[in-house]
Amino acid sequence: MHLRTDGGCLELAGKFPAGGSRLEEADERELIRRAQRGDRAAFDSLVRLYDHEVLRLALKVVGSPEEARDLYQEAFLKVYRSLGHFRFDSRFSTWLYRVVMNVCLDHLRRQRTRNEVQAPSSEEGETEYFQTVPDDRPEFDPERALKGREIRRRIDSALADLNPRERLVFELKHYQGLKLRAIGELCGTSEETAKNCLFRATQKLRVALADLV
Amino acid sequence: MMSCKEVEATLLSYLYDELSREERAVYDAHLAACADCRRALEDSRRLHQVLGVRSAPEPTPELIVRCRQALDEALDREQLGWRGLIRNLVPVLSGLHPSAQGAVAVLTLVLFGFGLGWTLRPRSEPLPRESKPAPPVALASADLGNERISDISQVSPDPKTGDVRITLNAERRVTLEGSLDNPRIQQLLVGTVKGYENAGIRRDSLDVLSTRSGDPAVREALLYVMRHDPNVGVRLEAVSTVRGMEWGADVEQALLEAAEREKNSGVRFAAINTLADHVVKVRDKGLLPKLEGLASMDPDRYVRMKCAVAVHELAGDSP
Repeated sequence: MHLRTDGGCLELAGKFPAGGSRLEEADERELIRRAQRGDRAAFDSLVRLYDHEVLRLALKVVGSPEEARDLYQEAFLKVYRSLGHFRFDSRFSTWLYRVVMNVCLDHLRRQRTRNEVQAPSSEEGETEYFQTVPDDRPEFDPERALKGREIRRRIDSALADLNPRERLVFELKHYQGLKLRAIGELCGTSEETAKNCLFRATQKLRVALADLV
Repeated sequence: MMSCKEVEATLLSYLYDELSREERAVYDAHLAACADCRRALEDSRRLHQVLGVRSAPEPTPELIVRCRQALDEALDREQLGWRGLIRNLVPVLSGLHPSAQGAVAVLTLVLFGFGLGWTLRPRSEPLPRESKPAPPVALASADLGNERISDISQVSPDPKTGDVRITLNAERRVTLEGSLDNPRIQQLLVGTVKGYENAGIRRDSLDVLSTRSGDPAVREALLYVMRHDPNVGVRLEAVSTVRGMEWGADVEQALLEAAEREKNSGVRFAAINTLADHVVKVRDKGLLPKLEGLASMDPDRYVRMKCAVAVHELAGDSP
């Protein structure tokens, strides 16, 4: 499953059915209509189309799997509660990601308010990362691994110091690869505003990580 | 020619490859002539390189399953709560004239009071629902010995090979992978779908088993789920699975039981639809008396109408 942008409009490539072809737009509309009428199975199918990408973004934003699970649940419950208001004025994926964005923004703001912003570099995350990277170098270099870990900690810390909107815009651009126009659409602003936000975020990161660059 | 200030303002668009071919050509032309801007670009590239070191963990299949399970349970609570009731009323109310909406809201509350009393009345023949799920599945196999399974975190089919992968914890973490024709795999899934505590896993197991409904043990398990699973969503999924199964007396009996005794109206309607559609499709007049009874006596208007249509279609078949 990949996150794609198409002509500036956000498009989330969904789960592929057994036959290998992508769910047709008409089929998705039918699923949405059924879910709007209260068909739980249809809603579940919509969740399964998009939940991998939603969880991926949540993990990027919060780092820990437990918190990502909470964001995932909060986002899809909001989608479930407000699905009746979706009028097909935009792509469903765009609408859904807007909801997810708002949930992530609220989470980051709450964290900031509580002054609990911490670098999401839990032991578990570190371990998982190292387990997923195959060590195919002739000789494993512990010193280099330690340095890599320290750099990641510094990056996480610098990202945590960005304001919530800058943080999310940066995550969506740099790590999720969305076009600036799509990010603007998700944020309910223009491409130019999204670009300015990204610019500010990058400047702050440059200052915070100056000694590493 | 761009100015250095303009180059600085579009530097990120350049780096992220968001400039048109023409804009990029103008940018490159400026870079070729300006050492300061080249240096600024190199600085930004190095920053990107450093930021590329960070890599958050990808969602594991186990995490996806845990998230889906938690959401499933939250949605169950949501549907049973006041919020669910209100949400179901909104589409109805919004279609009415504003002056009628208040009256309908009051009437709904009154009806809800009666409905609550009706729902909570003593039943003469309640379905034998299990208040607690069956104890953890015990499986004797070469893979697990006689260990008791404490937790199943994933049941996923591979559409390419038709195999299934089951990740579970016994005294150790185990992943079983193989064909549904493997008796051990099948036995584990049958045990899981009938008694495992997690509704999401039961539902995934049901999906996998639905492809083997010709097997007697699987068939029995699918009908058991339709009758007894404590989760409405799983029972509904089971009706949908049973709909695709080869018809037989056991299927007919299970559907009739659901039509008569199922408490959830969604599951009940699905069972009645399946029965009525079958009757019309194969001209099965053996079920005619039952359908006639439902068409005349059932308290629900939709059920009466659905069954009456089926009866009418069958009657049209009579000489």
